[in-house]
Amino acid sequence: METKKFTRLSLLLALSVVLNLIEVIIPIFNGVIPGLKLGLANIVILFVLMTYSFKDALYVSILRVFLVGILRTGLFSMPFLFSLGGAILSIIMMSISKKITKLSVVGISIVGSFFHSLGQILVACLIIGTKAMMYYLPLFLLFSIPTGIITGLITKELIKNLKTIDSNY
Amino acid sequence: MNKNDFILIGVILLIIGGIFFITTRSNKKVNTASVYYDNNLVLKIDLTLDEKEYIVDGYNGPVTIKAGNGKIKVEDEDSPLHLCSKQGYIDKSYESIICLPNKIVITFDDIDNSIDTVVK
Repeated sequence: METKKFTRLSLLLALSVVLNLIEVIIPIFNGVIPGLKLGLANIVILFVLMTYSFKDALYVSILRVFLVGILRTGLFSMPFLFSLGGAILSIIMMSISKKITKLSVVGISIVGSFFHSLGQILVACLIIGTKAMMYYLPLFLLFSIPTGIITGLITKELIKNLKTIDSNY
Repeated sequence: MNKNDFILIGVILLIIGGIFFITTRSNKKVNTASVYYDNNLVLKIDLTLDEKEYIVDGYNGPVTIKAGNGKIKVEDEDSPLHLCSKQGYIDKSYESIICLPNKIVITFDDIDNSIDTVVK
């Protein structure tokens, strides 16, 4: 791996961990729907997927889950396992939709957000039991649309602006 | 955003509507609730009785449950965010209370279990 790419991916990984730690402090619908987050870390993962490759995005995504696990939730705890399931399903589906559909960055972000929620719930179904989790499923999936649009729009701007910065060097 | 993005949003909304329709349609009269700790059944509550308090052991200490007259809620528990006591009463067969920090899950038992076998 060339040094510039290596450094940038490391910085992006650090950024995704920090975004994840920050967004826990931002309460959205806290208490109404447990565990609902904006998914700001998805900005970084989507950016890596769009500008580098699926493999790089997968590495950053899984390393992020492990680092957040060490720093906040605890390794192999329940939230850690939810997060891992969501992250892997999300990155795979984003990569597929990037290859085979004509979706824009925002669309791919919605796909990622949707399958991140779905992946988390699927893991939760395995641990807690299917029937109890089904009640939360539509709510989580519904909120994945607005959160996906928000992170998608931010990623779009990020890609545009970073290209301008890179071309100036 | 292009046309495909809006088609995607439409498809997702349809899927959500479908899931919502299926889960709420399965609503039946509730008469018993089951309380699980770490996936083990610890308490069965008859909801046809008048409201009463029950106490079960959670991971962080005792969990107080108030149940009766066809509804159930977590009255008091020890967890960082108190999500399940904030949730309040539930009374529909597809609803549930999940308290991850205490490893407590509360679900209703259907009067007739045949629906489950059809789905599987």
